[in-house]
Amino acid sequence: MTRPAEPVALTVEPVIRPARRRLRTRVGRGSVPYALLVPATAVIVAVLGYPMYKIVALSFQQYGLFELIRHQGKWIGLDNYRTVLQDSTFWQVLLRTFVFTIANVALTMVLGTLVALLLAALGKFMRLLLTTALVLVWAMPPVVSVNIWNWMVDYEFGVLNWTLTKLHLGNFIHHDWFVNPLQGFAVITAIVVWGAIPFVAITLYAGLTQLPSDIVEAARIDGAGALRIFRDMTLPILKPIFVILTSLSVIWDFQVFTQIWIIRNYRPESDYYLISIYSFVTSFNQSQYGLGSAIALIMVVIMLGFTFFYIRQMVRLGETD
Amino acid sequence: MKLRVVAAAAAVVVLSLVAATAGTARINSPTSAKATKITVWLMGDAQSNWPEAVKAANAAFTAKHPDASVDVQYQTWGDYKTKFEATLSGGSGPDVLEFGNTDVPKYSAAGALTALSKSDFPNSGTWLTALTKAGSYGGKLYGVPYYAGARGVIYRTDQYKAVGVKQAPTSLAEFTAVGQKLMAKYGGKKDPNYSAVYFPGRYWYAAMSFVYDFGGQIAKTSGGKWVGTLNSPRALAGLEAWKNAALSLSRANKTGDEAHPQQALVFAKGHVGSFIGNGWEWPYALDPKVGNPSMSNKINAYPMPSHTKGKYMPTFLGGSNLGVPVTSKNKQLATDWIAAYTSTANETLMATAGGVIPNSTTLARVNASKPTLAPFAEAAKSSWFVPSTPNWANVESANVLQSMLSNILRNPSKTKDLATKASDQITEILNS
Amino acid sequence: MSAAAPTIARRRRSRRKIARRVAVNVTGALVFLVMIFPVYWMVTTAFKRGSDVLSLEPEWWPHNPTLANFTDAIHRPHFWDAVQNSMIVVVAVVILSVGLALLAALALAKFRFYGRAGFIIVIFAVQMIPLNALIIPLYITLSSVHQVDKLSGVIVTYLTFVLPFCIWTLRGFIGGVPKELEEAAMVDGSTRLGAFFRIMLPLVGPGLVATSIFAFIQAWNEYIMAYVLLQSQEKQTLTIWLAFFTTQRGTDWGPLMAGATLTALPVVVFFVLVHRKIAFGLTQGAVRG
Repeated sequence: MTRPAEPVALTVEPVIRPARRRLRTRVGRGSVPYALLVPATAVIVAVLGYPMYKIVALSFQQYGLFELIRHQGKWIGLDNYRTVLQDSTFWQVLLRTFVFTIANVALTMVLGTLVALLLAALGKFMRLLLTTALVLVWAMPPVVSVNIWNWMVDYEFGVLNWTLTKLHLGNFIHHDWFVNPLQGFAVITAIVVWGAIPFVAITLYAGLTQLPSDIVEAARIDGAGALRIFRDMTLPILKPIFVILTSLSVIWDFQVFTQIWIIRNYRPESDYYLISIYSFVTSFNQSQYGLGSAIALIMVVIMLGFTFFYIRQMVRLGETD
Repeated sequence: MKLRVVAAAAAVVVLSLVAATAGTARINSPTSAKATKITVWLMGDAQSNWPEAVKAANAAFTAKHPDASVDVQYQTWGDYKTKFEATLSGGSGPDVLEFGNTDVPKYSAAGALTALSKSDFPNSGTWLTALTKAGSYGGKLYGVPYYAGARGVIYRTDQYKAVGVKQAPTSLAEFTAVGQKLMAKYGGKKDPNYSAVYFPGRYWYAAMSFVYDFGGQIAKTSGGKWVGTLNSPRALAGLEAWKNAALSLSRANKTGDEAHPQQALVFAKGHVGSFIGNGWEWPYALDPKVGNPSMSNKINAYPMPSHTKGKYMPTFLGGSNLGVPVTSKNKQLATDWIAAYTSTANETLMATAGGVIPNSTTLARVNASKPTLAPFAEAAKSSWFVPSTPNWANVESANVLQSMLSNILRNPSKTKDLATKASDQITEILNS
Repeated sequence: MSAAAPTIARRRRSRRKIARRVAVNVTGALVFLVMIFPVYWMVTTAFKRGSDVLSLEPEWWPHNPTLANFTDAIHRPHFWDAVQNSMIVVVAVVILSVGLALLAALALAKFRFYGRAGFIIVIFAVQMIPLNALIIPLYITLSSVHQVDKLSGVIVTYLTFVLPFCIWTLRGFIGGVPKELEEAAMVDGSTRLGAFFRIMLPLVGPGLVATSIFAFIQAWNEYIMAYVLLQSQEKQTLTIWLAFFTTQRGTDWGPLMAGATLTALPVVVFFVLVHRKIAFGLTQGAVRG
């Protein structure tokens, strides 16, 4: 029993076509766009303008506690940058941070998308249950959630060791998950991804609801497989949100600090240094604000490079409208 | 419809902004009646352990200065330094500030604190030397001793009796022997969780005591520069003694520390024979809310013995000091408040209510008369402290000692290399 | 003959549908259990007696439940002040951020103008500045306009943290609305602005909800800036209040978990109030072809 292919195509088109048709939007319509942007821009510039300038300025100065009190730094040109870039630990830490970021972002986005699709497929009650769980996870203050995880993997009193041993998966009594950095980072990745999934899943799910379910149902009845539906109908709608979430995840996972800080009891070993911890320990914790600012700017430049692809996507997203 | 929504939204925005600013006005008005207000930053511990001392200080202060008022703002240990440095750069900082004693040199050296004169404060003639040293820099006083803490061995009297120990060990060798007996009777296969001496790997306050006991030190000055000395023969002897004790007598986490989980509470669970703890950890283990009150007749303490028979192992003297930042606009008032707060009556109250060691040796007699405080006051007679240099705080931030210790426990044969590596790191940081 | 075939096909389809339904629900339940476990641990710890918190054998369900931790937490100093302050900050941040972001997102989505790419890059880059580097310069900025120790200073700081994401997300949602609907509304004779409010606002609803939850949680849980900016005890927010459960002696776990559970409640309440808006979308059978 064959069915003609057009009905599927017809219902799918209206959703993708608008992207190209929007070229007819008013181009540069006088002052309206600027007026709309002013309030948000004003807040950001007013609050962050001076700090951004200050960070750049400080990065070229020696600005420790001594200088802080006298409100006067000592100009040392590129010395701060040289100190950082010539530190072999910095490069080790940077590499580790790259790998960590890629792993975490990939896991977060994949799992988050799957959970979002799951939410869309669930019935009303289960969906509310799951979303409430996600919101609860999202709402837990990091101090609390990381400490709960700290207990769960505790050497002596942790439920994980007890459960794994009971399941005869090995002898995990007195297993310290942080002796081996690889295992330790596996735990940290679990914490970060667990904490990040709700945000991604809920935002993607919100995006998914813009896709009319009756159209999807019609497409499915007409024989379109799940993958085809996902590729031709879901993905185009989700794309802008997807790009945003991925780039945000990259920025956030690159700067992961709290989870490692707390899970190592406020004193991480050097094997657990990620770039933000390295920055904190070598500069801010020692009140070296000049050095800290230099590291911060280096991080910004690296993140800009890392997310260059996404920035280009976002700028382009506007152009093809 | 849309107009209603917009109007409602606008109303909420306006209301919340009004509430935000009105809230601040409402809070500000009562105190604006007084001419001067001083701001005091104390740690949350003061609020939970001896709030009456704070009240007494405020009362005495306002009696002496009727036109001044005190605003005590409690801080958290984790981030108070960041907040303080922000106020140093931007204004509206405190007039009185509580510091951990290891943090004072950094701020004194940078000129962030006002030089104070000892004669302005009660009992200054008999202040504990370690606290005074921590609070002084370049011959001047910058941090008034507030209170101290010393460590001793807290143990299970019933378990000691069961292995035939009737008196507290008087030497490290005896201590270790007792530990072996405990392990034989309660530990090993019978209870893999049992530790004769619960000693987490990163517990540097207690581990370094071994180094100082054998005559070593963390660092010393040589020709105007600091040199890390953990790889000196004496320090290594201390590290070896500690390592052997920890490996044979403890099943605690080698990469854990004494606060995560809190060791007194682990002791309260019943699988620990003894641990090296602060004075307040004794009542904490018996705390009805978190500990095991039924242990109250099975618990006692004694000062940790030295490897030299009859002496005590030096204990780390922790504690806090009170300083007056240079940015304060009421330095004399601040000094008077500190004097009121560290009065004899208050210090005695802190000792009895908080189980800490007061800032003066004469007042320490209070502790000597109480069985739960006496061992620690006794132990405090022999103490050690970190190198008093502003860069010490950076060594602590870089976790040099903790990393060295936990690595030694995991690689016992590499003790000398690890100690050398740590010494080099310390040399580098202290001289930077 | 031909009558039986469709019936069998229908039965096969409905059996497949049921199987899929079951599989989906089971997966949903599993995901629920995995995600909620740490939250469950937090809540059960809140009801455990202090001495039961650390135990060698995990206590899956408190065998000796107590409300003592909750009473302890509520009676800690400034609890209700902290609740009030957090509420004020969060309500202001959510409303202002969503409002301002919506306007900016409209500009980005619907207009092409000079400086658009530059604006996008700046807004993007602003999110990359590490927070540690910002603390002191932000303090200096706010101190110079007397916004230290004021909730308004905190509100305005949080706005800068959440605006970029809100602008991005809303722009994405606005972009996801099919052009047909907007044009259909304009055919009806309404102005551009009218078309927007009547048609687009409800459709961007899910985006507004997701963005407001994001802003809510960011503002609700932020700690370090609030701690540094707010001095008076009465002005402190709930996250600062939670930090006081840790003293020199360590952390009071039972009361902290109780406090954290209480702190999580308003977020859940807010979410339950707005969640229905997420499913709004085009399922209402809007204008089509």
